[in-house]
Amino acid sequence: MLKQLLLTLVAGFTLAFTMWSHAGSTPTDDVRTSVNAILEILQNEQLDKEGKREQMSTIINKRFDFRAMSQRTLATNWKKTTDEEKQQFVALFSQLIENSYVGKIESYTNEKVDYPGEKIKGRKAVVETLIITSSADIPVNYKVYQKGDQWLVYDVIIEGVSLISNYRSSYQEIMKKEGFDGLLAKMQAKIDELASTPS
Amino acid sequence: MPMKKLLLAFLICTLPLTVLGTESRRGFIETYEAQPATGEEAAPPVLEEMETEGMDEETPPFMDDDDLSFLDEEDDVIEVYDPLETFNRGMFWFNDKAYFYAIKPVAKGWRWLAPEPLQLGIRNFFSNLRAPIRFVNAALQGKFRDSGYELTRFGVNTTLGIGGLFDPAKVHFGIDRKIEDTGQTLARYGVSPGPYLVLPFLGPSNFRDGIGLLGDFYFSLVPVLFENTAYWIAISGDVVNFLSIDKDTYEGIKKDSLDPYLFLRDAYSQYRMNLILN
Repeated sequence: MLKQLLLTLVAGFTLAFTMWSHAGSTPTDDVRTSVNAILEILQNEQLDKEGKREQMSTIINKRFDFRAMSQRTLATNWKKTTDEEKQQFVALFSQLIENSYVGKIESYTNEKVDYPGEKIKGRKAVVETLIITSSADIPVNYKVYQKGDQWLVYDVIIEGVSLISNYRSSYQEIMKKEGFDGLLAKMQAKIDELASTPS
Repeated sequence: MPMKKLLLAFLICTLPLTVLGTESRRGFIETYEAQPATGEEAAPPVLEEMETEGMDEETPPFMDDDDLSFLDEEDDVIEVYDPLETFNRGMFWFNDKAYFYAIKPVAKGWRWLAPEPLQLGIRNFFSNLRAPIRFVNAALQGKFRDSGYELTRFGVNTTLGIGGLFDPAKVHFGIDRKIEDTGQTLARYGVSPGPYLVLPFLGPSNFRDGIGLLGDFYFSLVPVLFENTAYWIAISGDVVNFLSIDKDTYEGIKKDSLDPYLFLRDAYSQYRMNLILN
């Protein structure tokens, strides 16, 4: 009898605590939720590769701010483009980022993810994660910013290499030589190529 | 030994170029390191108005352009100095072919043949032989604690880890390896990276890190344990074994990026910068 009462109390406290902590989710909570959801999809044996990609896409689209990423990738060129061009770029770029991110995550299906820490500076934060594999530990950090009650990812840093800085320098080089239209054409060609050669 | 002569010649040829860039480099590192402090103060945290705007379905999709400018402050774009691009792209092409037609098939065969524990054991073995590189360079950079860790790791892994095949220092004592090399030490002393350089078989590098390889070669125990032909067999085996563990990173980069050469050039520079600052 006493045991039951105690259990109920513990359960009640746990519930209250969980609800309280959910009221303002931390950057790590938000990233963890998405990463766990992705790992679950990857480990779901009932889904085929296409099905997995589709479900992962939904989760990534909720967590990744592709517009912010595009803006940062184009940097000063962002202001020089028209709204239509921006929309076009964001559409193409989000497909490429998603593909690249999923490709990397896919190769770590059965691994454990640790969350060694987070650093918050105002509305910006960095969530540190560590993918523990049998052969190596890979640090993957997510740069996030607060929008409404959510923390959205605007850059992914794998082993010290920022995805966005990386894209920015290559894209700027391509734009210098072939212009914005040339860049869009190359991005479209890459997407077509990725779609036609399923790995 | 012809290898040493070759490296020495390389060192002498590149020294003037590297020294020339030293001054500007020092300034760069200082501003880079000073950035986080100033960035923090300047970050405007309040953005209440934007949120209500964002909730509004009627808002055109690209209205809040300027609202994201606060993300840009921590930008750390590294401009890679690459005057030898034509040569480098040629070397990149060569490495690409060597990778796909010669090295990778062997690595795939080894991946199929050898059980994973054996692959990891071999990798640990070579990593342990290179411990003196990390020990010396951590010390040269004044990181005496890291240096001590590396010495401990070497002692523990060589004995308990059976000649370095296992990594009990990490598994049982929680002391992890920290990548330190001569290139990083040179950077700490203000040496500029110099022009970007793609080395045959070794891939992305720059003049400074290329010279760093000379130091690494001297501190490594691999050439002490293996001489002449055995040395080349040993380092080839190390590379093949490493690639058998690697999850096809290069294939992924090649598949994903619009220009793999540019992608790797920037990734290498960012990766090195991160190592130097840590």
